[in-house]
Formats: sequence, structure tokens, C-alpha cells
Amino acid sequence: MTPSATETSGIRIQQLHKSYGSLEVLSGLNLTLAPGHIYGLVGPNGAGKTTLMSTICNHTFHSGGTILIDGEDPAENAAVLQRTCFIHEDQPYNDAFSVASILKVMPNFYPDWDEALAQRLVSRFRVPVERRARKLSRGQKSAFAIVISLASRAAYTFLDEPYLGLDPTAREIFYEELLTDFGTHPRTVVMSTHLIDEAADLMEEVVVLHEGEIVLQADVDAARSSAFVARGLADEVRAFALDREILSERSLGRILSATIRGQVTADDEDKAAANRISIEPVSLQDLIAALGIHTLTSALTTENR
Amino acid sequence: MNPSMRSLRLYLSNKTYVVAVPAVTLLAMVVVSVLIALVMGIVVGLPLPAAAEEGFRGNLGSLTALPGFLVSVGALAVNRNFAMALAFGSTRRHFWTGTALGFAATSLVTAAAAVVLLALEKLTHGWFVHAHAFDVVAMGSGSYLKTFGMTFVLSALSLFLGALFGTVYRAFGTVATSITAITLGVVLMGLVALGVWQRVRVIAYLADWGLWAVVAIIAGLVLAVAAASYSANRLATF
Repeated sequence: MTPSATETSGIRIQQLHKSYGSLEVLSGLNLTLAPGHIYGLVGPNGAGKTTLMSTICNHTFHSGGTILIDGEDPAENAAVLQRTCFIHEDQPYNDAFSVASILKVMPNFYPDWDEALAQRLVSRFRVPVERRARKLSRGQKSAFAIVISLASRAAYTFLDEPYLGLDPTAREIFYEELLTDFGTHPRTVVMSTHLIDEAADLMEEVVVLHEGEIVLQADVDAARSSAFVARGLADEVRAFALDREILSERSLGRILSATIRGQVTADDEDKAAANRISIEPVSLQDLIAALGIHTLTSALTTENR
Repeated sequence: MNPSMRSLRLYLSNKTYVVAVPAVTLLAMVVVSVLIALVMGIVVGLPLPAAAEEGFRGNLGSLTALPGFLVSVGALAVNRNFAMALAFGSTRRHFWTGTALGFAATSLVTAAAAVVLLALEKLTHGWFVHAHAFDVVAMGSGSYLKTFGMTFVLSALSLFLGALFGTVYRAFGTVATSITAITLGVVLMGLVALGVWQRVRVIAYLADWGLWAVVAIIAGLVLAVAAASYSANRLATF
């Protein structure tokens, strides 16, 4: 195990601002990420997910605020940055470098580089090692980024939409390998993703970014238990909901599927059974879609208190 | 491992590109020079007579063969390798120093290749046909030391020029890169104009110091361009 992975104090960000000209991408963002957890960074396109990870790793400069990794400013700080790994979704590679030549040099950057894991992942993802990295397909590039990120064993690993272009089988391999490796070598993993439900089982905490601000940081299980879905005849479901807030509705003929705020009680279950209403857990993605990000903030922060 | 060494290893990870190709390019220049001699030989006979051989001593192939390729190596190294090194947890300054060491390695190998080719050229008396590629005025007329020095500083200047363009692009974008290229062109023209204006002093200076004066001037340019590249690199972003 990398000792630093369990001895760190995590990432602390205060009042982080980042602007590109007149466009403010991050606006006074505050965030604390405790070490040794898997975080899902979600939000719409342009919310600032990649920019946030780039500023943390000092790939781009922030316009204001402070970033601390293990209590130190990462800017030009070799001791801190060498514990990070952040392969961008559109990572450029030297035109002349093959996958094999890049993999060969990786142990120089990461002393805990796991060559056996790298080889296994290359084999499982079928990454063509003799091909030049820039010639890889979209899915192969994502797979290659996963190989480097996981085998690096970096204490702070950032994954930028790692599933892009991966087929369902490859995505399953990724999820399986991440969980297996995280189990034996815990570290801080920050993963930006749009596939919220698919990745929800990996995440311990979800961080929702919207218009440059963190609008939610919550335990995934707590978030999912903050609402439920009731499905049945429309009138019955509305009567069942009574005075509770219906966050969203989907109708199919006379059947209504309603996402209702709150937790299911034993009384609810009895009532639902009596009225032939099925009670189902809400998915994280549906919850975010149902509430809208701004409403979600108030909903979940209320639930978490 | 020293953080700078990581970027040096990254630079050297494709040795064919940064070590072999420059040397092979010089060899290709020799082949072209010999082919030209063979064509000339159709008219004046082979091996080339003294007059034709003397003309060959003005061959500038050794000066012009490499810069284009090496500028692209420098630009690509600080552009693509920079993005890779940052992704792999490097700092900007360690990336730059490691890559600068790589440039020095490429320049050393290229200069060594030029010396070896010069030795072969002398040994074979102009590749058996009295052709000259390295035993030329521009390289010190057969001096191993001057050939080494001239090739080394020219290679380094090309690499660091490419690095300057690459880092300016990373730090400030395409417009700034164009402005830098134009500014360097204007400065170069200004230096040429200054040299022409002060030609009497320049010729006297060159007479005293010969090719070493040119090597020293190019070395000064290397330092200036390297310093500018380092400064720009500190502001470069992904």
C-alpha cells in the first residue's frame, strides 16, 4: 500500500475562482475531499468539472482562492504533484510515442507503479500497445487513461469522464478493476461522470457542480434515500402521496410513476400494498433530473441535517 | 528519482526520434552531397578535379539539414510532452529542466555524429569522389572541434527555438506565437543589418576569432532563447 494514501489530510479548497477572460467558470467554490474515498463529480456540460480538476492539479492556474493538498499548495510543489495523476479526457500525447513507450516510462513518474496491473488492464481492455497513442480510437484512449490512472497508484487519482467511448463490457471491466484495486490500495479518486447511475455504486460521495459552484456534496446512499418512486394508478398514487411533495411524474396511460420526496415508512408500505402501488428506490440520476440541481441542494441538505 | 530526470526519461523514451533521426538526417545529407558530386562527375569526371572540389567546400548542407526537424522536435517536446508530464504529476520547472537536458543530449549525439561523418569523409578523401559535406568552410574546414562546436550550438538553437514557440503557444496561444515568430524574424534582420552596417568591425572580429566567434554568438542566442522559453513555460497551461 502507498503509505501516503492513508496518511494524507485530503484536498481543501476555499473560495476558488477561475475565469477565462470574462467567462467565470468557477465562482468562489468551496470543497473538502477527505482522503481515501471515491468521489463522483457530476454536473452538466460546462459546469466546470474538468476545470476544477485541472486547477487542483495545477494544470491550469486559478484566478483566486486557495487549494491545499495534504495541507500544501500544489502549485509547482513537486512533493505534492508527484502524488497526483490526472489524464484529461482529451489528453495530448507526443505524436511519436507508442502506448508501449509511454507505459515503459511510467515507473519513473510513479514509484508505486504496478506493472502487473498495467499489463492485465492492457490485456483486458485490448489496448494495442504498439500503436501510437494519438492514433488510438476514442474508446482505446479512455482505456489507456484508465490503465495509467489505476496502475499509477497515485494517492490522488483524477478520472475525466473515463467511460467515454467504452462499450458496456469495457465499462464493466473498469468498474470491477477500480473497485478491486481500491479495495487493496485505497486512495482518493475523483471521477467526473455523466453516467451517474452506472457509476453510482462506485462513488461514496457525489459532488454536484453547477455554474461553477458546488451545489451538493452528499453521501450517495443518503442522497438515494432522500426520495422514492411510487408506481400505480394515477389517482391512487396521488392519493398516496397526499401532502408530500411530488418531485416529478411520468405517465404511461393510466399508470403514474411519481418521484416523491421523503423516506418510506412501514405505514407507507402497508398503504402502498393495499392500493396496489409499487414502491421503488429512486436512482441518483433520476433524482437529480427530477429535482433540478438547485432544488436538489435544498432537498438533500434538508434530508442530511 | 530526481523530478527532472523523469521528464528527461520521457523525452528520451523514443530514442529513434530524438537521437537516431538527427544522426540519420546528417547521413542523408552526405548521401545527397555525394549524389550531387556524381552528377557533377558526369561533366567534369570522377573523382572531382581540384577546382570542383574547392567549390564543394562551400557546401552548406551541414548547416541547413537539421534545423527544420529539430525545431519541430523542440516544439513537440514542450507541447505534447508538457501535457503528458503534467498529467503524470510533474512541475513545470522540472519538466523544463529535464527536457532541456534532453535537448543537450540530442545536440551532443548530433554533434558526435557530425564528427564521425567528418572523420569518415577525411578517411575516404571525400567519400571516394572528393565530395565535401562536413569538411567545409562553414564547419571549420575539417576541424573536429569546430565541427563539433558548430553542430552542437546549431542543434541546441534549433531545439530551444522550437521549445520557445511551443511554450509561448501553451502559455499565450496562437496570436502570441505568431507575434513571437515575427519579432524573432525582425530581430534577426536587425542583427544582419547591424552586421552589414558594422561590417568592417565584424570582419575584423571574425578574422581574430574565426568560426569560434560564430559559435559563441550562436551559444549566446541559445542561452537567450532558453531563458525566454523557461519564462514562458512557467506560465504555460494544459
